[in-house]
Formats: sequence, structure tokens, C-alpha cells
Amino acid sequence: MPMQKKILVVEDGEFNRDLMLQLLGDDYEVVLAGDGREGLRKAEQERPDLILMDLGLPLLDGWETTRRIKRDPALKGIPIIAVTSHAMVGDESKAREAGCDEYLAKPIDADELMRAIRRFV
Amino acid sequence: MISRLIRLVSRLPATVHAKLLAAFLTIVVVLIMVGTVGLEALSRVNRGAQDLVNLQRKIAAYRQLQHDTTSQLYAVSAALVVPEESALDATLRQLNQFGYDLDRLQFVAKDEVELLGQVRDDYEKFIQVVTRVIDMIREGKAAEGREVQFKEAGPLADHLERLTNQLVNRAEADMLASIEAGQTTYANSRWIVVTIAAASILLALVLGYVISWSLIDPVRHMDQRLQEIASGDFSRHVTVANRDELGTLATNLNRMNDELKVLYEQLEAANRHKSRFLASVSHELRTPLNAIIGFSRLILRKTGGQIPDLQRANLQKVLISGEHLLTLINGLLDLSKIEAGKMEVLPEAVELAEVLDGAASTVEPMLTNGQVRLIREIAPDVPPLYTDREKLRQIVLNLLSNAAKFTEQGEIRVLAWRQNGWLKLQVADSGIGMEPEALTHIFEEFRQVGSSSTLRSRGTGLGLAITRQLVGLLGGEISVQSDVGKGSTFTVVLPIRFNGSKPRG
Repeated sequence: MPMQKKILVVEDGEFNRDLMLQLLGDDYEVVLAGDGREGLRKAEQERPDLILMDLGLPLLDGWETTRRIKRDPALKGIPIIAVTSHAMVGDESKAREAGCDEYLAKPIDADELMRAIRRFV
Repeated sequence: MISRLIRLVSRLPATVHAKLLAAFLTIVVVLIMVGTVGLEALSRVNRGAQDLVNLQRKIAAYRQLQHDTTSQLYAVSAALVVPEESALDATLRQLNQFGYDLDRLQFVAKDEVELLGQVRDDYEKFIQVVTRVIDMIREGKAAEGREVQFKEAGPLADHLERLTNQLVNRAEADMLASIEAGQTTYANSRWIVVTIAAASILLALVLGYVISWSLIDPVRHMDQRLQEIASGDFSRHVTVANRDELGTLATNLNRMNDELKVLYEQLEAANRHKSRFLASVSHELRTPLNAIIGFSRLILRKTGGQIPDLQRANLQKVLISGEHLLTLINGLLDLSKIEAGKMEVLPEAVELAEVLDGAASTVEPMLTNGQVRLIREIAPDVPPLYTDREKLRQIVLNLLSNAAKFTEQGEIRVLAWRQNGWLKLQVADSGIGMEPEALTHIFEEFRQVGSSSTLRSRGTGLGLAITRQLVGLLGGEISVQSDVGKGSTFTVVLPIRFNGSKPRG
């Protein structure tokens, strides 16, 4: 059996973190982070294959976290999918400007999420 | 010059009423002047005529005097030739007549005192001489009488004639002078009357022009300002020079402008606040909803036959309610985007048939099984559109979903045709229809017909409000007709080519 791909989920809502874990846990190795700083640290430590990034995060927001990851030569190759409830006009382009490779609006459709993930890993 | 006058009249601190009254009074005064001058000229002409008549009379009297002198001499001469008593009496009578003539002259020619004095002196002498001659004749001293007649009466008569000639000449000269003076007076009067009349016409024109422009100009300025205010520009004040009613009006207009500006800014701020609030509410609601929907789906997917059917159905209801809530939030978000002016129109070439097909395939699963037919008819003259595809799709989809929701059997007809250069799109259903009073509120937010009583009406109450806003964004209008129990017909009029104008705010 091939080694499971590792996905880092940066998400401040406990229930939503848990939901992600349940949605992805069967197919991927899931690493969880509850805020931007933890996300950044876990990205450096765990070197995930993909990051699911909430944008409205405590301590360090998702946009800034994304920018820092994309600035780090060792990490910038990791695809980042923004998963956010910021669904106003301009939010998607703001996310992409920060460096997100894909953008999904909450609430998450499981199939859509899977399709998006499979495009990158 | 005229414009300076207009400004001057504008600045006069008097009411419009007073200004108009003053102008009319001025014109009336000028007219009275014309009349006075005319009357004065007339009376002068009248006096001239009177003078002429007097002179005429004077001349006649002088001529009579001359004539009488001559006939006196003749009569005396005749009496010398034929010394009869009757001829002598006639001569004496003529002498008396001559006296009357002189008396008359005193009244006619009061101004010729000196000459008349001489005439009277000569006359007295002439009478004495003639009386002496007659006495001599009576006494039979005819030769002596002829002598006196020749030596004294003749020269006296000549002198008298010269004097009367002088009088006549003077009178004639006076008459000529009077006629000439009359002509000059007439010419002068005519000139004065014509000048004053022309001046009064000019004055009336200038006053009329100046006063009317001193009123029209500020009215135009204020009208322009009002139009600007109506289109939402509160940045300027209108300035008029007037200190009359129009000045007051302008001041009030400016005050209204300021009041409106404050109100408008408050309203805008409130509206921005509302939009921000809506956006953040929808954002905050999404996070827990993500968990509700996500976990419900997860349970339904992963628990197969492990939970009882009833509980499974209950969970299904949780999921459906969550999804409904999501639609509601999305609708709110759309509305707040449109109202905040953040919804952009991205026009492109659009085939209406494709849009209708897409919307129909989304709605068809909602139709009550086999009972409702969806009919599409696009007139062949409908050209390709140039508009926002996604918004048009949402409009059609909203109308179709709305029709599907309220129609249990029969048909839903989608008709499209071209009318007066506009696209007409009609969605007609054979559903439950609406009461007339419901129609007036149908496009307002959360005005769902029968939402409390009908189980099937699962709409958010925002669909038609959003639809109307979207139609407005695309430069069109939407209207509805409905009969209870027979169905409803929504008609959308859209420009075939979107040209960027937004008829609704």
C-alpha cells in the first residue's frame, strides 16, 4: 500500500477541524492546526503535500500565513487550497493574491473538496 | 451694459411685486408726459389760431379805415362839386362812421397805442377840416372850401392813409410771424412727442427685458441646481444676486440642499453599515453551517443501514434545513452585494436558448412528477444578446424555480420575443396564483406568498427581490400579473445590448 499523502488542515473552528479530519482521514494522513502560527510551524515540521487553509484565523490570519509559506523556498512548492467562509466579491482574488492555488467557499461540499485535492496530490 | 442693469435690478432689495409695480408706474408716468406735451402743443396751436383771427380782424379794421378815409375824401370832393344838402349830410354821416371805425380800432389794436394816437390826432384834425369845408360850402364859399380841402384835407388824408398802411403792414408782418411761429411750435411739439413716445417704447422694452431676465436667470439657475440635487449631487450651493422672493427661494433651496446632504450621507452610512452587517452575518453563519451540513452528510453517507429509518429521515430534515439556511444566506449575500454596488455586470455575447436550456435542466427535477410540463418558445427574430450570462441565467432560474414551486399541474411556459428593440421574456405558470394585494409586495425582501401555510413553498423569500435587482442591473424591468387559482405571469423586459446604464439604483 502506497504511503498516504499528508494534508495540513489549518482551521480555527474545532467542529470544522473535526469534520475535515473525518472527511479526509480515510484517504489521507491529516495534520491539524488551530491558528496561523501553529499552521506555519506544522508546515515547517510536517512538510505536508497539501494545505487546506482557513483565512479568518486567530494570531496570524490565513492570508499572511499563506504569504509566509509561499515566501519560504523550502515550503513554497506546497499547494494551498483556501477553504473559507469569506465569500464576498473580491475575497477569492484576495486569497489568490496571497498565494492560494485554489479557493473553496464554505460550507464545504465533500465531493468538491475531494476533486480539488486530487487535482494537486 | 444690459447685463449690468439686470444684476442691478436683481440686487434691488425689493419684492418682485414692488419692482413690477415700479416699472408699470414708470411707463404710465411717461405716457402721461406724452399726453401732457401733446395737450400743451394743441393749446399752443389753438392760441396761434386765435392770434391769427385777431390779426385778421385788425387788418380788416385797418382796411376799413383806409377805405373810409378814401370815401370821405371822395364824398367831400363830390359835395364841393354838387353842394346839395343831402350830399353834405352824407359826408357828415361818413365822418361819424369814421369815428366808429377808430373806436373799434382801440379794442382791436391795443398794442399799437402810439400809432393809434397819431391816427386819432390826424382824424380830429381831418374832422375839423372837413367840418370847416362843409360849413364854407353851406355858406356858399365854395372856392374857399375847395382851397381848404385841397391844402389841408388832402395832406391829412394822405397822412392818415400812410399811417393806416403802416398799421396794415405791421399786422401783416405779425401775421406772418405768427404763422411761422405756429409752424415752428408744431415741428417742435411733433419732435418732442415722437421722441418721448419712442423713449417710452424703449423704456418699456428695457424694463420688461431687464425685469424678466432678473427673474428668469435665477429661476434657471435654481432649476439646474434642483436637477443636480435630484441626481444626488449635494456639493454646490446656488448663488443668485436677487434680494427678493427669488433670493429667499434660493436661500431655502440651499438650506434644503444641506439638509438633504446630511440625510443622504446618514442614509448612505446606514446602508453601508447594513451591507457590511449582512456580509459579516452571512460570513459568521457559514462557519457553524459548515459543521451542520458537513456532519449531516457525513453521517448519512457513512452510517448506511445502521440507524433506524425514522432517525435517518430526521437527519435528512436537519440537512435540508441546513441547506435551506445556506440558500438564504447566499441570497442575503447576493442582495447585499447588489445593494453595495459590488455586483459587476460583465456583458458578453449570449444565446438565450442556451441559457434557457441550462435553467430548464436545473428546474426539471423540481417539477411534480409528470404533472407539469415545461414549454420553451423563442421567437425566431430574437437575436443573440449582449449581456451578463451568469445574471441572466440566475434571473431565468429564479423565475423558473418560483413557477415550479407554486405549480402542481399544468404547464410552465417560457416565451421570448423581440418588441420595440427590447427582449421580452415571459414565464407563465398555471399554479396557485396570487392575490392582487400580494402582487404589490412580491418583489420586496421576505414577501413570500403563503410561506406559512404551504409546505411546498420552500423558497427563501429573497428570490424575486434578487431577481428584480438583477434585472435592474442589466438595464431592464420586471412586472407580474396573476389570478388566484389560474397562475402567474412574470414579464422581464431587457435591452438586447447591455449598454451600461442603470435605470434603478
